[in-house]
Amino acid sequence: MTDQKTMAYINLYAVLGTLENLCELAPEASALLKNKKPISIGFDVKGGPSATLTFANGRCRMEQGCDKCQVKLPFSSPEKFNGLIDGTVTPIPSKGFTHLSFLLKQFTPLTDLLNKYMRPDPEDLKDPDFFRISTTLMLYTIGVAIAQIGNNDEIGKFSASNIVDGSVKLGVKDGPAVEIRCKDHRLLALKHVPETFRASMMFDSIETARALFEGTVNALECVGTGKVEMRGLASMLDNVNRILDRVAIYLA
Amino acid sequence: MSKTFPLYDTTKSNEWYARAVKVIPAGVYGHLGSAEGLFIPVNRWPRFAEKAQGSYFWDVDGNRYIDYMCAYGPNVLGYNDPDVDAAALEQLKLGNCTTSPGKVMVECAELLTDTVATADWAFFAKNGNDATQGAILTARAHTHRKKLIFFKGFYHGVSPMVQKIDYPGVTPEDVANNIYLPWDNIELFKQTVEENKGEIAALIAQPYDHGNFYDNKYPMEGFWKEIRRICTENEIVLIIDDVRAGFRLDLQGSDHYFGFEADIICFCKALANGYNMSAFCGKDFLKGAAAGLSYTGSYWMSSVPFAACIACINKMKAIDAPALFRKLGTELTEGLKKTAAENGFDLVVSGAPALFYLRIANDDSLMLHQEWIAECVNRGAFFASHHNHFINASLTHEDINLTLEIADDAFKTVAKNHPELF
Repeated sequence: MTDQKTMAYINLYAVLGTLENLCELAPEASALLKNKKPISIGFDVKGGPSATLTFANGRCRMEQGCDKCQVKLPFSSPEKFNGLIDGTVTPIPSKGFTHLSFLLKQFTPLTDLLNKYMRPDPEDLKDPDFFRISTTLMLYTIGVAIAQIGNNDEIGKFSASNIVDGSVKLGVKDGPAVEIRCKDHRLLALKHVPETFRASMMFDSIETARALFEGTVNALECVGTGKVEMRGLASMLDNVNRILDRVAIYLA
Repeated sequence: MSKTFPLYDTTKSNEWYARAVKVIPAGVYGHLGSAEGLFIPVNRWPRFAEKAQGSYFWDVDGNRYIDYMCAYGPNVLGYNDPDVDAAALEQLKLGNCTTSPGKVMVECAELLTDTVATADWAFFAKNGNDATQGAILTARAHTHRKKLIFFKGFYHGVSPMVQKIDYPGVTPEDVANNIYLPWDNIELFKQTVEENKGEIAALIAQPYDHGNFYDNKYPMEGFWKEIRRICTENEIVLIIDDVRAGFRLDLQGSDHYFGFEADIICFCKALANGYNMSAFCGKDFLKGAAAGLSYTGSYWMSSVPFAACIACINKMKAIDAPALFRKLGTELTEGLKKTAAENGFDLVVSGAPALFYLRIANDDSLMLHQEWIAECVNRGAFFASHHNHFINASLTHEDINLTLEIADDAFKTVAKNHPELF
């Protein structure tokens, strides 16, 4: 019960979009970009999303659309783009051939690094810094995926249709958070700790967050034990949680 | 001089919860659990009860609570009502779950059809969901149609067809024949019926909008009369889900209270003062369809609940329970509003006094409301965060006064915790 178009939105904004945070949080990511000329890569999915990743000064940022990119990777369908993420499709740029070395020497190692943090080896998780970075990146990916599912997936749109305007804070106590902002039943995820919000769902520790993301503990049990604390407009949380249930289906 | 109340210790409740969560999904699943019941924050709430009497229950730590949830409705006369319990015990000595149903089932059906305005017959089951599901099946069997109209904000039980597409375990096919319309919009209802002419089996609705998370709303003037007319003209079965409000507004049914007649009406909570049974009652033209259903259960014709039901209904009649609930509910909610105002809070009360819904409107997130509710619960007045409440007949003026004193202390505590606001 997933669809390729929604998956493409998740893969672009939630998965590749997490490169922004990888470059911020993981020193080895920013090291890969050190002393490199700024470059922008556009992903243009026919019948799906379109965005540009810009790498400059050891950082990465994502913007909607790809009109101004230096390297453009067109995809004829959401399925083809999803194939890129699965590793079954090799992209062919439509412009920016002189920058192809970046794709091979920096971009691919960066996505490999992202994969290392997102699908980590259990041994790596024993390092507290790795654990924190990995879990934070998961939180950001999940937060953005919630917005994409609420805006694109048919069942997710039903849930979003029941969310009133305002923000939901989803995060770790004294740690990272995402803001799920709703306006006219369209969702936007912002990867920061919001100052104001109408509802919040907070994990008591980064360990609880990870256990929930990995499905090793049950969310309702965590609410019962106080490891997850909900406050505010319960109907917003109820519907965001219904979308959150679908994130697992897409990102499994 | 305002009174202060000590905060309850819920250590044993939490210990029992830790045991429960090992062997029961979510520890306590559903509306009595901490997630769906919105225990915010969880450490301020009781998880398990030790005993109950009248308007009170005691948790496993020995804390006493004035109970305004009444087990989410079933406690209508007071826990352990002596008349109902005596009738139940007497029947228990004769027999309960037997191969042939007890004759008390017939007596119970006769009483219901004599009491409920629209009832020509009664079909018995166990839970509210059994009643709403049976009503829908009856409507579909009678009309040979598949579509159903619901008013948004509804809750009609837990069968997949009355859950929503984004609920766990529900498939798009389960709800493919459901049409969701806003409450109180006759024009849209009319248009929808026109667009689906000959396809709609039933409208299932609560008698007024007593959904969760928002102020409850009565129907606008003439709403039900017009809906009744459209349903009749289009041979749509009008089902009233009176599981929650039944007998608390009107012993003849909430449709009677609002001046119209349903084709089928569903009851559960207030039927038997906590003895487990439900019923859907209908007009004669639907009796054959109900008879033909493949719909039954191991305990649906157990005799003890029928005996309890008869005693409960007779007692509700004798004391004019709906009038008592209105009086007690009004006294309580007016007192709560006054206490709130004295402490700088804007407490909005909506719905029927017997089923009052509370909301503090000083902020737009309900966080102040949740804090106040937790302070009340932790001092011994059990309210729910975002659900309508229930009045029971054993509630006294003294209970209400105690509640207002607790509410006052709770308001003062919340105000003290928010110097930026008060």
